[in-house]
Amino acid sequence: MILDKIDIGVLVNILGIGAFIAAFCLGIVLLFKTDEGRKLKAYIKQLQKSLDELDEQAKLIVKTDLELNKTQEELDKKISGLYTLQRLSRAISTTLDENQIFTRIEESLVKELGFEKAFALAFDNTKEGLPNLILKMHAGYDEDEAERFCQKLKEKNIMAALIKHGSLFSSLLPEGTNNYKRAEFKQAIEEIKTICGLSSFSGSLISTKDGYYGLIIMGNESALSVLTEGDEEMLGILATQLGQTIENAKLFEETFRSHQELERRVKERTQELSSALSAIQQISKRKSEFVSAVSHELRTPLTSIKGYASILAGGQLGELPKPAKERIEKINRHSNELTELINNLLDISRIESGRVELKIEPQDIRQIIEGISDIFMPHFKEKNIAFSSDIPEKLPGVLADANQIRRVFINLVGNAIKYTPAGGKISISARKDNGSISVSVSDSGCGIPEEDLEKIFDEFYRVSSQDNQTIKGTGLGLSLVKYIVEAHKGKIWASSKAGAGSTFTFSLPAA
Amino acid sequence: MLKAIGLSKNKDPYIAGKEAVHLAYKNIKPLSTKNVKEISIAFVFATAQLSRESLLKGIKEELPNTPVVGCSGAGIISPSGIDLNAVAVLLVSSEKIKFACAQEINLDKKDPRLAGQTLAKNTLRKLGPYPREAFIIFMDGLIKNPSRFISGIKEMLGTSLPIIGGASADDLKFEKTYQFFDNKISSNCAVGVLIGESAVVKFGIRHGWKPLGKSRIVTESSGNLIKTIENKPATSMYDEYFGKDSKKIEAEKIIYLSVRYPLGIYVEGEKEYLLRNAVGVEKDGSIVCQGDVPQGASIKLMMGTKESVLQAAQEAAGALKKSIGIYNKPVEFALVFDSFSRNRLLGRAAKNEVEAIKTSLGEDMPFLGFYTYGEQAPLSALNYRGQSHFHNESVAIIGIGEQ
Repeated sequence: MILDKIDIGVLVNILGIGAFIAAFCLGIVLLFKTDEGRKLKAYIKQLQKSLDELDEQAKLIVKTDLELNKTQEELDKKISGLYTLQRLSRAISTTLDENQIFTRIEESLVKELGFEKAFALAFDNTKEGLPNLILKMHAGYDEDEAERFCQKLKEKNIMAALIKHGSLFSSLLPEGTNNYKRAEFKQAIEEIKTICGLSSFSGSLISTKDGYYGLIIMGNESALSVLTEGDEEMLGILATQLGQTIENAKLFEETFRSHQELERRVKERTQELSSALSAIQQISKRKSEFVSAVSHELRTPLTSIKGYASILAGGQLGELPKPAKERIEKINRHSNELTELINNLLDISRIESGRVELKIEPQDIRQIIEGISDIFMPHFKEKNIAFSSDIPEKLPGVLADANQIRRVFINLVGNAIKYTPAGGKISISARKDNGSISVSVSDSGCGIPEEDLEKIFDEFYRVSSQDNQTIKGTGLGLSLVKYIVEAHKGKIWASSKAGAGSTFTFSLPAA
Repeated sequence: MLKAIGLSKNKDPYIAGKEAVHLAYKNIKPLSTKNVKEISIAFVFATAQLSRESLLKGIKEELPNTPVVGCSGAGIISPSGIDLNAVAVLLVSSEKIKFACAQEINLDKKDPRLAGQTLAKNTLRKLGPYPREAFIIFMDGLIKNPSRFISGIKEMLGTSLPIIGGASADDLKFEKTYQFFDNKISSNCAVGVLIGESAVVKFGIRHGWKPLGKSRIVTESSGNLIKTIENKPATSMYDEYFGKDSKKIEAEKIIYLSVRYPLGIYVEGEKEYLLRNAVGVEKDGSIVCQGDVPQGASIKLMMGTKESVLQAAQEAAGALKKSIGIYNKPVEFALVFDSFSRNRLLGRAAKNEVEAIKTSLGEDMPFLGFYTYGEQAPLSALNYRGQSHFHNESVAIIGIGEQ
């Protein structure tokens, strides 16, 4: 029991001390704990602060990133826009048809430029009242829709405000658009937005040197698509390209038309000329036929005249008194001349109409000349003319009909004798000239005026000079010569100096 | 297995459809004398302009007995690059793989979960008693909350079955997108393909966006709607980062910004954050996303660089070349679901992404894909047991081969 009492007393004491110690310890612990808590709190606060700071930095980063992305997006759009623009320019500039130019702006290209919709209108100022708008192309709209807003835009007369503003316009309104002057423009932009169902767009007037042709607008329906200033520039470039191509197309159209007109006229004129030519050919043919017929008809009576004249002159019908004889001889001589004239005429017409058959064989020029010099020798002597011929020994032969070539020589040498005064000189020379042989007959006669050189080969042409009044001739000799030479595929020409003689040269193919 | 791609840029949808099939045939023909009836499935992707009824009419006339599935995209991705106005067809002929196709229409008028269940049920019925390997889905990219629909599918097919696919797109107008099922073209619809029997399925999903700044907590959300972040209206996050002196930014601008700078949800164990971008902004400042954002989730603002985005594509495609477990057989063709936002970020370098995928997959492997308004793919972290999730801004690639 006592133990119990003591025990209780001690126990109480011990408990009291224990409680005291425990409270003390707890106090100390608590004291430490609150200190740690305070530290911890400060720590957390610090952490919170740095987190907030971090977040502020994040905000900066995000804003920079946004800015960067915006720039990047614009750059990307510009680059791909430029590529597309280049392709578009190529597509446009390869056509010269005004209507085709706009159809080349395909929907896919519009999309690549970063737009959903596009349309182009042309102004038509030819009618009175509001300028008419003609739909040139549309992408992202159906035909009816496009026609409908085309009509609405016309009614609102939006174009006047745009033209007043300048060539570039877009829904990115410039600063200060709210002021009084710009209000009209701002309203026009809003009208386009509503009428064409676009939340943003960019456009440009298309101008040519004749003034404004029309306009092109590209835009987006979706509010998510962002328009940039680069878009405006791009549209501007495209519009310039369009304007130039339209100008080119117009120019081409004009050139093409005038070219066609020219071609038509040339055709017309050619036709006129060819019908004139055939008429002339017809006439010429008839002339030849006529000459040939007349000559034949003339020759028959002439033969009788000559015949009777020679009978009379021969005295077969009795001796004629002297004056009669003289007259008869004149008749005879003139008849001979007439016969020669008619023969020449006949020859010309024969050669002209191709009725003469040439016997082409290799001929030796030297031989032919020797043959004719015999004929002319008496005449040379009579007029005391010095005749010489200079033919190279190794001269090849010519391809010709011997009889015809002889006639050429007879005519040319005969003429030379006629026009060379007594004591003069006549010479014949020949030389090889590529594939042909040129033969020249020169005299020291009175010569031919330069202006007549071309004409002397014409039929019946005679140089009008003092000498010619006395010298007889038909005016057919040289024509005949020309026809013969040309029938041999040769050429003939004359050169002369007035008073210093003349030279006739003809060429014939070498054998 | 025979497989071949055909692509046409013809402006007439009817002709384009026929032309694409003909071209695919040309590519398949030298390999086989098989006739038309034995083509197991045709995947068709077309840009919005060509997505007309006549397109499918043309295709179906060429392939009367083949199931046709697909949808519209903001661009077509194929080994030949990117086409912004084209239709492409991938024909597959396999005796070992079964493709069970079904569609669910009028999604806007139905309970999404039930609709998902119905779609899954219909494909299951068609597959029959074969093992299932994966589910491919093409659904309207303009549906505001696809997550619940996917939940419905998961409930039917099991949560660990990989669901991979893309949300159909238009030409960035966000007006109307199309889904293809045989000769029918619809909007507000989902088309599913359950792949089964002896198939090998591999997939990869990556985006390459990196987190930035401090993480914030989603203080209030429901489904795909983020109401508040750190007890402030959700949009304030964008105001803080992009607004001049934190002034309010217009809704449209936020949608535009969120494509480039999406929100990233931290997912424990995953290599990358799960991305979400805004498809809508409510008047109270709530952000509407395509995928769910759980309340209490830790999110960050994300930023992508060209380099990291290209690297991600390479990694996603590279995943198809890895042999996983018993599946050491190679895949023979691939479908690519690439977010349109990546195309936007990459700009002119977009074709480099396709090149990177091509190089990773190997020059000879045919692949076909489109630019999506969202991707569907599984998460690989253990905690998620391979559950599929809705992704944004990512590239999801599925490869299929025979066991």
